[in-house]
Amino acid sequence: MTISRRNVLLGGAASAALLPLATTAVRAQVKEVVIGVIYPLSGASAQIGVDAQKAFETAADIINKDHDFALPMAKGEGFSGLGGAKVRLVFADHQADPQKGRAEAERLITQEKVCAIVGSYQSSVAVTVSQICERYQIPYISADNSSPSLHRRGLKFYFRAAPHDEMFSTAMFDFFDAMKKKGQKIETLALFHEDTIFGTDSANAQLKLAADRGYKIVADIKYRANSPSLTAEVQQLKAADADVLMPSSYTTDGILLIKTMGELGYKAKNIVAQDAGFSEKALYDAVGDKIPGVISRGSFSLDLAAKRPMVGKINDLYKEKSGKDFNDYSSRQFMGLIVMADAINRAKSTDGEKIREALVATDMPGDVTIMPWEKVKFDDMGQNNFANPVLLQYNGGKFETIYPPQGAVAEAVWPMK
Amino acid sequence: MTAATIIQSLASGLLMGLLYGLIAVGLALIFGLMDVTNFAHGEFLMLAMYGAFFLFAFFAVDPLLAAPLVAAGMFVFGAVIYLLIVRFAMRAKANIGMVQIFTTFGLAILMRGLAQFFFTPDYRSIPTSWLGGKTVSFGGIFLPVPQLVGALISVAAFGALFFFIKKTDFGRALEATREDAGAVALVGIDKNKVFALGWGLGSALVGLAGAVMASFFYIYPDVGASFALIAYVTVALGGFGSVFGAFAGGIIVGLVEASTALILPPSLKSVGIYAVYLLVVFIRPRGLFGSI
Repeated sequence: MTISRRNVLLGGAASAALLPLATTAVRAQVKEVVIGVIYPLSGASAQIGVDAQKAFETAADIINKDHDFALPMAKGEGFSGLGGAKVRLVFADHQADPQKGRAEAERLITQEKVCAIVGSYQSSVAVTVSQICERYQIPYISADNSSPSLHRRGLKFYFRAAPHDEMFSTAMFDFFDAMKKKGQKIETLALFHEDTIFGTDSANAQLKLAADRGYKIVADIKYRANSPSLTAEVQQLKAADADVLMPSSYTTDGILLIKTMGELGYKAKNIVAQDAGFSEKALYDAVGDKIPGVISRGSFSLDLAAKRPMVGKINDLYKEKSGKDFNDYSSRQFMGLIVMADAINRAKSTDGEKIREALVATDMPGDVTIMPWEKVKFDDMGQNNFANPVLLQYNGGKFETIYPPQGAVAEAVWPMK
Repeated sequence: MTAATIIQSLASGLLMGLLYGLIAVGLALIFGLMDVTNFAHGEFLMLAMYGAFFLFAFFAVDPLLAAPLVAAGMFVFGAVIYLLIVRFAMRAKANIGMVQIFTTFGLAILMRGLAQFFFTPDYRSIPTSWLGGKTVSFGGIFLPVPQLVGALISVAAFGALFFFIKKTDFGRALEATREDAGAVALVGIDKNKVFALGWGLGSALVGLAGAVMASFFYIYPDVGASFALIAYVTVALGGFGSVFGAFAGGIIVGLVEASTALILPPSLKSVGIYAVYLLVVFIRPRGLFGSI
């Protein structure tokens, strides 16, 4: 038989039809809960995927073994709601390509029989993966996708526990407003964003906020991700010389941006970054000395360990596996799996619809998570609006929370040095 | 748009273009010699960049000093790849073009995979070097020193290559083998030896480019991909197999890319390159300086 699109579709439809029957039959003796984890494990963002793998393994370890943390799923071994069944993760590689993501999601569901999928770093890939999940009625959690358009597509099986870029950008503008009140001059902004859904959505949110709050956008530069050179782009940024430069860039472009700025003699007055590359150790190893005082939004901070010792202990478990501290991404990935596992446990089933119902009913207080969130509770679009973002400043080789004031451990250094 | 902006763009474009040329010339050389397109060319560049990085990380060798070492290492690597892999691929009886494509393409994927396995997918970079991060400026025009030195090395390498091909015995043997491999066998020139040296030379040149780039670019297993694409366009633009074509093609690509970004939004800056490329394909399919 030749593999034509029609055959694939037919096969998909057939297995979708059989799926409810199959799961009903095995529900009685669920021995393991299989969850698909879809990340870029090779290609330009392989580093993210490989680190993510360690974060998910850490979470799986905590689920499967008995740990004395307040975190859901930590106490006891495996899923208590499913007779102690263990979680098994199946990793799939989407190489940052939405089409590969689509194919891998299909494979995870039909071949590997996963009951839920967690993903995926690139928002562009989350678009296709979550569509496939919707078709097969398998819940998908965006652990770390931040494009706001993702949860507005009317999907019933889409959930996101973490903040999205409008929430993050709002925090940035709240911060600007607060700085202005203190007498700092912030009038002009320059946007610098990559050309996939992440950069575009982020820039759209920032453009709208700037217009609403009376900031002038003096440069809005969209560039091609993984460009061999950013000279022309940086020249335009330099000509604009805004009060704040706001990049939405993955690691590679972030490194090249800062290097090129140095080469062209452009020193930004302030940088407030939309996370991504600006949360990665690799970027600070490469160019950290050139940007002391850079601010990035985030949803995690190791500062929290002082208030909540569990955060430090879980970070140690992760560090043992990866050699790195939790960052904004690995922490959200970790929580993504915990939130999903908690729902499966309450659903007492691996049936997609049952898990979806349990996710809808999720109400997890913030202090049993490792995040500075108020709680995890999804709205009718699957978005958790109680995930408060934070702003972190890179000072003296480490990140400190500087905003919002209730979570801050340090005063913002502004303008950056 | 001021005059300074335009001059800055063109100057940056020229420097980048000379590097593109240096990256592409190895590809052109190998193709010209034996009609094999090396689809692993970007991965050769990646390997060279890692070479410079590891020399720096373990022995504190500056990338500039490492350049000749990396080039020498890549020479051996290229020759070995020919002798162990490509030589056999060329013995295929049927569909020889396809066999070569799949061979070098497979080599590319293998090299990427091995690099990810052994070097990890972490983004590396050389934080401090003699050239890195330094910049000279003339009346508001900034020229980054690493790219400036890279451009000079590129010009010198092209000069040496030109001299080598035209004036030395081995260069003449290279030219002769490229024109008629059968006939040179009759006068006692070992075709395999010439091909191996050709692969070595082509790889050494991309090695030189990689070592220079290591001082200002980030390094990871997939770094070659975007440069390889530009190298293919450069070679096709300049003319397959033409060394001078690669030089001219590189400069054209660099300048066109920089000037497109002056007119169009930067995310469309490669549109200019491909527009020029299409134009050349329509008007002069063998490339500007191609002889095939």
